Amino acid sequence: MSVETIREQRKITCDVLVVGGGIAGCFAAIKAREKGASVLLIDKGCAGKSGQSPYAGSFMVFNPAWGHDLPAWMDLVNRTSEYVNNRAWTELTITQSYDRYRDLLQWGVRFAGSSEENPTRFPAPSGVTEQLRFEEDRHGDYVQILRRQVRKSGARILDRIMLTELLKTDNRVFGGIGISVDEPVLYVISAAATVLCVGACGYKPAAYPPIVQLTGDGEAMAYRAGAEILGKEFVDTHISRVDIPVGIPNMLGRKQPVPPALAGLDGPKRGRTLYNAEGKPLPPRPEGGSKYTFTYLETEFEAHAGRAPIYTDAPDGEREMVGGACLGMSLRKADGLWPADLQGRSTLPGLFAAGDALGTMQNGSAYALTGSALANGAVSGALAGSAAAEEALRIGHATIPEEETSRAAQYVLEPLARKGGFSPQWVTQLLQNTLMPYFVSYIKRADRLEAVLSLVLYYREQLDPKLFARDLHQLRLAHETRSMLLSAEMRLRSALFRTESRGNHYREDFPCRRDPDWLAWTKIGLNNGKMELSKVPIPEIWHPDLNLPYLERYPYRFPGETEPGN
Amino acid sequence: MAVESINPQLCSGCGACVLSCPADVLRMDKALKKAVVRYPEECVVCCWCVAECPTDAITLTPKRTARLFTSWG
Repeated sequence: MSVETIREQRKITCDVLVVGGGIAGCFAAIKAREKGASVLLIDKGCAGKSGQSPYAGSFMVFNPAWGHDLPAWMDLVNRTSEYVNNRAWTELTITQSYDRYRDLLQWGVRFAGSSEENPTRFPAPSGVTEQLRFEEDRHGDYVQILRRQVRKSGARILDRIMLTELLKTDNRVFGGIGISVDEPVLYVISAAATVLCVGACGYKPAAYPPIVQLTGDGEAMAYRAGAEILGKEFVDTHISRVDIPVGIPNMLGRKQPVPPALAGLDGPKRGRTLYNAEGKPLPPRPEGGSKYTFTYLETEFEAHAGRAPIYTDAPDGEREMVGGACLGMSLRKADGLWPADLQGRSTLPGLFAAGDALGTMQNGSAYALTGSALANGAVSGALAGSAAAEEALRIGHATIPEEETSRAAQYVLEPLARKGGFSPQWVTQLLQNTLMPYFVSYIKRADRLEAVLSLVLYYREQLDPKLFARDLHQLRLAHETRSMLLSAEMRLRSALFRTESRGNHYREDFPCRRDPDWLAWTKIGLNNGKMELSKVPIPEIWHPDLNLPYLERYPYRFPGETEPGN
Repeated sequence: MAVESINPQLCSGCGACVLSCPADVLRMDKALKKAVVRYPEECVVCCWCVAECPTDAITLTPKRTARLFTSWG
């Protein structure tokens, strides 16, 4: 459908606008409804099938009645996070996970095991914590149950609407403007509180999990509106099969026979050991220390040494894998909107966030508390939904000035208004080729980061203002591209700013942790039209014992870390 | 791998594949009232469409569809 511009505006008013229909968004919508607020949940794809939630494998549940010990769990995260976790959020996710598990049970989600009171508890690779697994036929069935529960709660769902620009008046967010990919209509959504549950920011990697939708639209519009962002230097990586990232059987389910033509096209089955091209096993992670489970930075180190590709010893044959497949998959809550409190508020009034869009830093710089990513989606979604509803009902609605709606509408429609320019697909491809090489995003050094930053700044200054869209499909792509360009600048600046290595952030030129200088978070904000970074020290009470020898404080060694830090 | 085609004889026009696609590859042809592959270059092989289709109308191809983009399109 060729579209030159969009003239029709569809106005919707709700108390709470929830953006994104993964586990965090569904919990936020349901809990906001429980507080009596009217709720609209919108998703640029399909709520219940979008984002990373359908591909989550486990749900961490903490329950003292099962013998779980809070100090032991906290100690694990504090150490494996390399002491930059936000301990308040870590503890909230752990201690509230059981209540959210009970919610899921009540709504009809089933877990593997003999009974609801006594599900099968799977030990996490750390050997300290435990997690549950969904009893489901295929990937993501549980999110479909959540979607049904959102509807049952009385919340309204609109699919295939992409929120693109926030609306503000008196420095408070009152909803936003969305575009439909199906019809030439602008959605002007007036909401007393807005909850961003839009996930993390990747760069459309063709690998597992398929996070093609997670392009950082939430943090981009929040940043433009004045909210603060953190943690962009901590990138995650994920192994993936080269030929088919997700896997047919995972999607078709166990009950449906796999067509013969598609047999064998299953997704990434992780073997216990990874082998390099010389057939040598990759070094195991040290027990009890920084155990970088599921981060796979070591595959990047092998590639750097010229020993790729990497294989696994999966039970049904060796498979070629790639590391770094999922550039931009969040490090499970490391990056996102700066949390202003423990209820999901951002630093911008009226704007909340939850799940991967909220930088709770609950796992710090590396992910070892497996299953906590999903548990946090539920916990932070519930907290943000409840708090947003209470605030919305207290503050009430505002009249958004016509000039503010016009400004936002003009911004949203710019790519359609142009007769020519650059295609969003081409600029995205440029960005991928610029940012995705392992020696930029994973194995970092100041000179390379600066070189790439200069290119990304050029893209932002010269290509972004000339992006053009022929139709509504491309209008969505154009705005996704703009979001990714902004996120790329944030990632590169943050990576340059943190002059040390820690967790998933590795600098060749600074291969040691630098305590106490970098017992700190990196905060990003917009100041007089410029991106400004600042270092926010972590409370001293959360510091590690600095009298502990460095090698004991940090059992994991980075390549090139020949001398202990400090 | 990518979604290659939707068999119009088998497609019931329910729209489940269109709704499930995270990359907006599939669209409904309003005249035919059938789903069609409109933007194949965006396919990320997540297989949601194949999983959702009640009539097994969707064919995946082993050919990758990585497209060379010119700056204008």
